[in-house]
Amino acid sequence: MLHLRFDMGTLLLKGDVGTPYGKWDPRVNSYRIKAAHYRDVLNYLEESGFPLKDEALNLPPVEPLKSTVSLRPYQKEALTRWRGAGMRGILVLPTAAGKTFIALKAIDLLKLQTLIVVPTLDLIDQWKKRVSDSLGLEAGAVGGGENTVRMVTISTYDSAYLQAGTLGNRFMFMIFDEVHHLASPSYMQIAEMYVAPYRMGLTATYERSDERHQLLPRLVGEPVYSAKIEDLAGEYLSPYTYEKVFVELTAEEQQVYDLEMAVFKGYLSKRGITLKSAEDFQKFIMTTGRDKQAREALLARNRAVKVALNSKSKLTHLAEQFRTHRKDKMLIFTLHNDLVYVISRRFLIPAVTYQTPKEERREILERFRNGDYRAIVTSQVLDEGVDVPDASVGFILSGTGSAREYIQRLGRLLRKVEGKRAKLVEIVSRETMEVRTSRRRHKTAAGA
Amino acid sequence: MLPSELLAVWKRKGTICPRYSRFSQDDLAVASSLIEIYDAHVGCKKSRLKEFADEFEDKGFEYRFVRGLAFLLDRRSTFKCDDRINASELRRGIFEASGKLGVPTSQEERKRVVEAVAAELRITDLDVERYLYADLDSELALERFQRLSPIELLKEYNIRLAQTLLFDATEARFTTTDNWQNIFHAVKRLGLIYEIENDDGLWVKISGPSSLFKLTRRYGTSMAKLLPTILVNPNWNFEARILWKYTNEICNFKLESQRDSFLFKTPQPSAVAFDSNVEKDFAQRFEALKSGWLLKREPEPLTAGKQVMIPDFSFERDGVRVYMEIVGFWTNDYLVHKVEKLKNVEASMLVAVDEDLACGKFEGLEKQSQLKLVLFRKRVPLPPVIRFLDEAYRGTRMTQIGLIRSLPIVFTEPVVSYAEFAQRIGLSLEVVKTVLAEMSPSGYVIMPTTMVRKDMLEQVAEKIEEKVDRSGCLPLSAALKVVEDEGIEDATSVLETLGYKIVWHGINVEKAEVTKVEKESRQLSDAGHSQTA
Repeated sequence: MLHLRFDMGTLLLKGDVGTPYGKWDPRVNSYRIKAAHYRDVLNYLEESGFPLKDEALNLPPVEPLKSTVSLRPYQKEALTRWRGAGMRGILVLPTAAGKTFIALKAIDLLKLQTLIVVPTLDLIDQWKKRVSDSLGLEAGAVGGGENTVRMVTISTYDSAYLQAGTLGNRFMFMIFDEVHHLASPSYMQIAEMYVAPYRMGLTATYERSDERHQLLPRLVGEPVYSAKIEDLAGEYLSPYTYEKVFVELTAEEQQVYDLEMAVFKGYLSKRGITLKSAEDFQKFIMTTGRDKQAREALLARNRAVKVALNSKSKLTHLAEQFRTHRKDKMLIFTLHNDLVYVISRRFLIPAVTYQTPKEERREILERFRNGDYRAIVTSQVLDEGVDVPDASVGFILSGTGSAREYIQRLGRLLRKVEGKRAKLVEIVSRETMEVRTSRRRHKTAAGA
Repeated sequence: MLPSELLAVWKRKGTICPRYSRFSQDDLAVASSLIEIYDAHVGCKKSRLKEFADEFEDKGFEYRFVRGLAFLLDRRSTFKCDDRINASELRRGIFEASGKLGVPTSQEERKRVVEAVAAELRITDLDVERYLYADLDSELALERFQRLSPIELLKEYNIRLAQTLLFDATEARFTTTDNWQNIFHAVKRLGLIYEIENDDGLWVKISGPSSLFKLTRRYGTSMAKLLPTILVNPNWNFEARILWKYTNEICNFKLESQRDSFLFKTPQPSAVAFDSNVEKDFAQRFEALKSGWLLKREPEPLTAGKQVMIPDFSFERDGVRVYMEIVGFWTNDYLVHKVEKLKNVEASMLVAVDEDLACGKFEGLEKQSQLKLVLFRKRVPLPPVIRFLDEAYRGTRMTQIGLIRSLPIVFTEPVVSYAEFAQRIGLSLEVVKTVLAEMSPSGYVIMPTTMVRKDMLEQVAEKIEEKVDRSGCLPLSAALKVVEDEGIEDATSVLETLGYKIVWHGINVEKAEVTKVEKESRQLSDAGHSQTA
């Protein structure tokens, strides 16, 4: 008799039978198998006719669902493709195109224990609400102090990774929200350490600049459906405009900027260093640990960048924008938290950063939705996923230059509301390296 | 542990090593200044403390080092929010007002909002500005700081540095001398798997379940957490393989107590706590016996198949080692597991079992030749233990003696040192002494530390005879020289065997002489026999 059980994120097969998936583990005298091969191993053993005692699973009870989800035509199409691919695969859809509903419909279809993996704590709350609204079910949550496993459970990537040893055998279906995160070296082990045979990945930005998205098909399934913002804008997404505004640094700022940049560039040319790619820059940063002058140069550059990013002129311009958009709901995005608080203090609008207490964050988003608050300033925490339906104007004061960030920030504004016309404004300091950063994000975003 | 961006390392030819502080004057000065700053600035904001630390960086001290120390000092501090006005409620008031009145875009509009809220909450405008974000991390004030000495801080820094490097470990192995019980508990609790490697002492290799499939840093954090449990001991060796993320290469990281223990906090040898009163009581009574056996609690683990077993006690005497396990009151599962483990142990072991327990479980165990059961109630009786020890001792002796006897050894050297011989055949010195005394190889005379060939002894006798003056005396030093020149350690014993006695003239060795006890020459063979008798 063979004996299959779950062991800290892997499967152990006792009995003298090898499978094409297992590897002999001399440490415990058993075959050890990646949890993700659970279904394959069962099939193999069944076909081979070996008697098996399967004690791998530890599933929470199935609860009845009361689904009220109805899908738009393109959502139906996406779901059909996913089913056709054996209930595995990735759906690439713009933010606000209703990826969540496709996932909820899939849960309703399978009626199996499901783990939804999300990148932020805010998204746990948001998914919980969606599950409750659309499936009539209270979802469990792992992460952010909570630890309850139910038929539908929502977890952060971090918790799913750290607790794979105990959660890995508790679900049959996994949904990865913002699935591009899964390709990172540590998170990809989530996909390997859970037994769930059915998998769905959701993202608006499938491709990663490090090319690691090529690992995703093995972990979740192939991309089976893909739609772009242009495909859906108008009918299902709000139409939008994009505008770039250049502002001049103040005379004082310009002086500091030039001075600091001169230090940085002087060092580079003295050493004959050229920084063309992100890798070049990474290498340069590594030398700053050893080389005091290199570090001086780096710090000078950082000060210059900070001056450009946080220029007073941007705030002056932002004030003008606020005057013209008094009736709109606005989101202001920055790169660093410092600037978030400068803006929050100056314009007396709520700030959301990773330091904002969870309760307060919830309240701010809620009161923004119901109209008590007109604007929110945030760094990167709201880039992903959080739903603010009728925000219509966005201001990007600073960013990393990645296309993903741009698409995500734009996505915050595109949720369809009748008569809404979204507008994204980017405010850039002229004659600084910020201009190049801004250009980079559009060049790459155009391809997405 | 430290944030990974503060990890500073040396990396060369496949080895990696944290840049420990080696307690240079500079390092001590920075540590000492930072401690003084924290101590003197209770009540100051966190952001202000950071500025102080930044100053050291500006002065050219390695920034990761300075920040690492500051990080550790932060953790010894408690910070408090100035909560005379609740910042969160104040913000709610402000944001509601700006939501109602519209986002203020000029100084005047802003002032109006602030004044309205200040009036409503009965605070000043200045309070609004001061408390709006008083609960941000950087605004918190130092409330209490737990002082430590600069050297303690640097030692703490060193261990954190080593642990931070281990975050990126894919596997590790270690060997040590004590604290095994805690170590193995920790290994299990941390979700690691161990393997025992018996090469050059007992090494324990640790990895995790998924390590079988690929190199993974997943278990690095667990290995880092395990490290202090090992470093409590005075002796250890620890090796890890680090997957260095920046270059994606595997590097070796080594820690050796002989070389590195000065870097870390001196271990406080904690007395091993007894699991039960039965053990404690037994240990006390046994120690009082002064039996000549060295009793040790939680000795080095024994391998039991693929697992290890740490017996409660080991007894050691003249290189003979036996173990004892006391089985008190436990659950059924525990007993089943224990019996399973005991079956696989190959060492000589006494198992003391509480009579009130279902002893059926242990039936059949005694058939294993190396195990012996003793029943007890409340306290473990000493006589059967002593009997077992004596038997084990004799048994081992007999085996060893038999072993030596069976060796096809023919002694030819003029002088045989027991110590060298024992080392050569891998048995204890005591056994070798006993056996050689019993065997009394023909043609040799047994001395306390060596065995000397008879013809050699005769030669020595002649040489001394030649030097003796007319009164039959010879300076001791000259006599000793003759013997030692032949490479014999036991010079005085040789002299005595040859029938000389030392005559002291005062305490000065130079003046001491040897002289024959009897005029008639003794038979060497008699001398030989008298040694073995």
